[in-house]
Amino acid sequence: MGVSIPPKEADRLKNIVDENGGSSDEFDSEGEASEGSEVSEVATEEDGGSSGDEDASTSDGSGLVDDEDENEGSEEGADANGSSSDDEKASASVDDGLESGEGSGDSDSERSEVAEESDSSEDEVAPRNTIGDVPLEWYKDEQHIGYDIKGKKITKKERQDKLDSFLASVDDSKNWRKIYDDYNDEDVELTKAEAKMISRLLNGKAPHADFDPYAPYVDWFKWDDAIHPLSNAPEPKRRFIPSKWEAKKVVKYVRAIRKGLIKFEKPKEEPRFYMLWGDDSGAADKTNHLSYIPAPKPKLPGHEESYNPSLEYIPTQEEINSYQLMYEEDRPKFIPKRFTSMRSIPAYEDAVKDSFERCLDLYLCPRVRKKRINIDPESLKPKLPSRKDLKPYPSTCYMEYIGHKGPVVSISTEFSGEWIASGSTDGTVRIWEVESGRCRKVWEFDEAVQYVAWNPMPEFPILAISVGQDAYLLNTGLGNEETQRKVGELLHVEAAKVSDDSS
Amino acid sequence: MTKKDTAKKTVAKLKKNKHYRPAGKKREGNAARYMTRSQAIKQLQVNLSVFRKLCILKGVFPREPKKKVKGNNQTYYHVKDIAFIQHDPLLEKLREQRAYQKKIHKALAKKNEDLATRLRTREPSYTLDRLIRERYPKFVDALRDLDDCLSMVHLFAALPAVERLKINVERVHSCRRLSHEWQAYVARCHKLRKVFVSVKGIYYQAEVEGQKITWLAPHAMQQVLPDDVNFSVMLTFVEFYETLLGFVNFRLYHSISVKYPPILDPRLEALAAGLFYLYALTRYMNGNTKRISEEQESGSTKPEHTRGQLEGAQFEESELRLSQLQHQLPSNEDRALMHLIEEDDDNDDDEDTKKCKKLFKNMKFYLSREVPRESLLFVIPAFGGVVSWEGDAAPFTEADQSITHQIVDRPSQGHMYLSREYIQPQWIYDCINFGVILEAHRYLVGRVPPPHLSPFVDNEAEGYFPDYAETIKRFEAAAKNEVLPMPGVGKDDLDDPQLLLAEGYLSRTEAIEVAERKKERATSEKQYLEDLKQEVQGHPDATASIAVEGAQVEEESSRPHLEQVAEDTDGTALMMMSRRNRGLFKAMKIAKDKKKAKVEKLKQRKKQIAEST
Repeated sequence: MGVSIPPKEADRLKNIVDENGGSSDEFDSEGEASEGSEVSEVATEEDGGSSGDEDASTSDGSGLVDDEDENEGSEEGADANGSSSDDEKASASVDDGLESGEGSGDSDSERSEVAEESDSSEDEVAPRNTIGDVPLEWYKDEQHIGYDIKGKKITKKERQDKLDSFLASVDDSKNWRKIYDDYNDEDVELTKAEAKMISRLLNGKAPHADFDPYAPYVDWFKWDDAIHPLSNAPEPKRRFIPSKWEAKKVVKYVRAIRKGLIKFEKPKEEPRFYMLWGDDSGAADKTNHLSYIPAPKPKLPGHEESYNPSLEYIPTQEEINSYQLMYEEDRPKFIPKRFTSMRSIPAYEDAVKDSFERCLDLYLCPRVRKKRINIDPESLKPKLPSRKDLKPYPSTCYMEYIGHKGPVVSISTEFSGEWIASGSTDGTVRIWEVESGRCRKVWEFDEAVQYVAWNPMPEFPILAISVGQDAYLLNTGLGNEETQRKVGELLHVEAAKVSDDSS
Repeated sequence: MTKKDTAKKTVAKLKKNKHYRPAGKKREGNAARYMTRSQAIKQLQVNLSVFRKLCILKGVFPREPKKKVKGNNQTYYHVKDIAFIQHDPLLEKLREQRAYQKKIHKALAKKNEDLATRLRTREPSYTLDRLIRERYPKFVDALRDLDDCLSMVHLFAALPAVERLKINVERVHSCRRLSHEWQAYVARCHKLRKVFVSVKGIYYQAEVEGQKITWLAPHAMQQVLPDDVNFSVMLTFVEFYETLLGFVNFRLYHSISVKYPPILDPRLEALAAGLFYLYALTRYMNGNTKRISEEQESGSTKPEHTRGQLEGAQFEESELRLSQLQHQLPSNEDRALMHLIEEDDDNDDDEDTKKCKKLFKNMKFYLSREVPRESLLFVIPAFGGVVSWEGDAAPFTEADQSITHQIVDRPSQGHMYLSREYIQPQWIYDCINFGVILEAHRYLVGRVPPPHLSPFVDNEAEGYFPDYAETIKRFEAAAKNEVLPMPGVGKDDLDDPQLLLAEGYLSRTEAIEVAERKKERATSEKQYLEDLKQEVQGHPDATASIAVEGAQVEEESSRPHLEQVAEDTDGTALMMMSRRNRGLFKAMKIAKDKKKAKVEKLKQRKKQIAEST
């Protein structure tokens, strides 16, 4: 940081230089290192005596600065703690090196004086630690924090535990001014003046209150009563003749004005609105364009959107909670709310969003004309004949055929309609007389009967049944003797073959 | 051959050479008629945002081709629509604007402020009137599409001007102005029909030239501007809507022979900057038309005087001066003509308008500070009332003895005049919606008003009558002095309700349900008798009587199975339907069931509420 040197000190330095016979008439705050060192040497010799008490005040750090006569002490303290920028440290250490090389006094006090005067930009005590500009992590796990000027290890201070440090800090009213310097491993307490300076810096002001950044400018140059001109060059010709380029530009503008590109009066404002639809009769329907499909109008609000709906429109808390479990598409978009007076209606937070969504619908949604069917769904059903038109049909139980023990799986009616054959899972086949319900004949098998069927030819009243794996042809014994004989012949002759085939 | 060329060819093909087909390509049907959005953008050589703007301004929307050639997740535009955009001068104008913006940028980059400012004064601009004429060839078409326009303009009138979102002050002000001009017209011509105060805002419905126009005006509150809204889209819409509404207003104002844009009295203009623009407008309109007619009648400034007294001395002189000016004008014939038009206008009004005009006639309202003033200043004059308010430039003060109603919305009212009713604002809206002056006692100060019902719902179609709707119906009927039959019961059995009530049914709704059930039973019996008759006619032989008897016996025995039978017939009918019809039937049924479930839910909730209290 650019620390301004207090005028007192600057004067002193100047004096020193003058005494030394130095040629520099202007004090350079950013002076080179070599020059600085030279100056510092001189200073050491000069101020050897006074350095002792100064050092006393700086080494303990916490000494009351206000009591001191000299201003320097406070300055040193301030810079040592407030601004320990790396460059300064580095340059300080370089100076130390130079000093030790020359083999001069080597006392602590001298060194500090050297540091003070060596580089004009920093008025600080050289740090106790001499490790230089190296990362402090290197010493993190060590017992020492570095080396002092004599090469002895500086051991780390014992760490106070948190509680103790906290208690100490609570007790100490000046705690807010204390800063821990981890380079030198010591606590530094700022003086009041230093704290003030820091606060001024934080506020973006100059660190010293007496520095005036807006001092009036003093013009040292004497403008009047100079005999010779600053420049002896003759006046150029262009100062006497009209400019060609300006003329060209003027011509350009003139042309632009003539063409009407540049207008001076504001364009006359025409009335924005006029009778657009003068006579509608003229506007014929004929257009070459596609048919315009008007966007469907937004849905009109129902009772539930009222600010004060009937109580039954407001969902209970459980219902509102249950909405959370629904899919997002199924969830109702609007939950009715009730306000007992108009003054308590709040702003609707989705007003802009709703409007925006409508805009999106208007220009992004494909439109299709669809016919809306508004009919009673019942009219879609085909007309069926009524049951009563289908009469007569039996509606009460007329006859029961009793005999089977198990469920009947198959029945078959004989050609004439006089007989019914029925096969059951109890392994019996029965022939019934339809009219009377009498059981005419029963055959028993070992397995459940699966199917029964009459021969469709009237001259052979034969019954075919399937039982398990077998198929049987049964002579029912119906009909007159002639047919019986024919059946007997048929079955008799074919019996062996049929049974062979079937099994 | 680039894609653009082919697309162009396609357009050309449709126009001229019907049979031309690019070599090796078979493009006809949906493939040739529709193009995707990216194809369209390529053809128009614009970027997406410009395309969007063009679509919005031209009113071009995507279409749904029967066969989507490029895939399902694409937006398809009709080739003709895109050609329509391509041939619009607007496209060229937008390009020109873009080029011009580049010029300005360049000037700024060269630090040539002078040039930049000069260029800025002459930026190319476009007008939308041609587009409006194109989109709405007739005035009625424009009115038909005005819903969205009005809602949007009203919304923007309530938005804060935010520079970041490019909602500038001029836009908001112009929206405000336009919306008020529209409202002034509606109020002046008594075109307003219904008003509904919802949570989302206030819905108004007006009927202009036979078109029902509904719009939503947000409550006068600070609006929320969400982040997930693309305001540039909305601003494009608003730009179009503003122009549309301007032209519509122009036409409407001209139809009642008022100059547009309205030129207000300078004093009123000062007021008009604030809340009272609407009021100033209505005054202006009324003044413009009334003054002429009044003068015609009396030939003096007398009525002006009386009005001036009413409305405070502030406007008196200006009115006087104006009327004197009017008097000096020699164009007597003109005025006579105007007068005639005015008369005609009055006679021309349809039944509804006449009714609306008279609703609040001879009533004088006074608005307290806390009521929604803008809405009420619009609504009350629209229904023939006279209104004043607490604050600057009010036409009459609270102390006026002729005030009949004071509208307040506070828990309790301190000082009360006995000569007037103190009612909540909902009373106004309910009166308008039901079309009668309701009893004020339910809306008095400090009371919880009865539920506010939507006037847009057809209760009968919905199948559910809220209690208050029923009460109002009764009230109306009583006002008309006629006995209202119970819903669901024919006129011939008017005594039924009493009977039912005698039977001990407590609530009316229950009674109605029972009546319905009875009716059902009666109809089924009738059906049965008819069937019997048919049968008798079908078998006129000797066994007829036996058959009838048998049938009766059978019928009785099968009574319990009636439901089963109905189910069977339904099932068979469903099986006999075509697949399309069956789908349709099922969909309809689902919709119907949903509706029914909704009504059931409402009933159930109502019951719960009744039980809990």
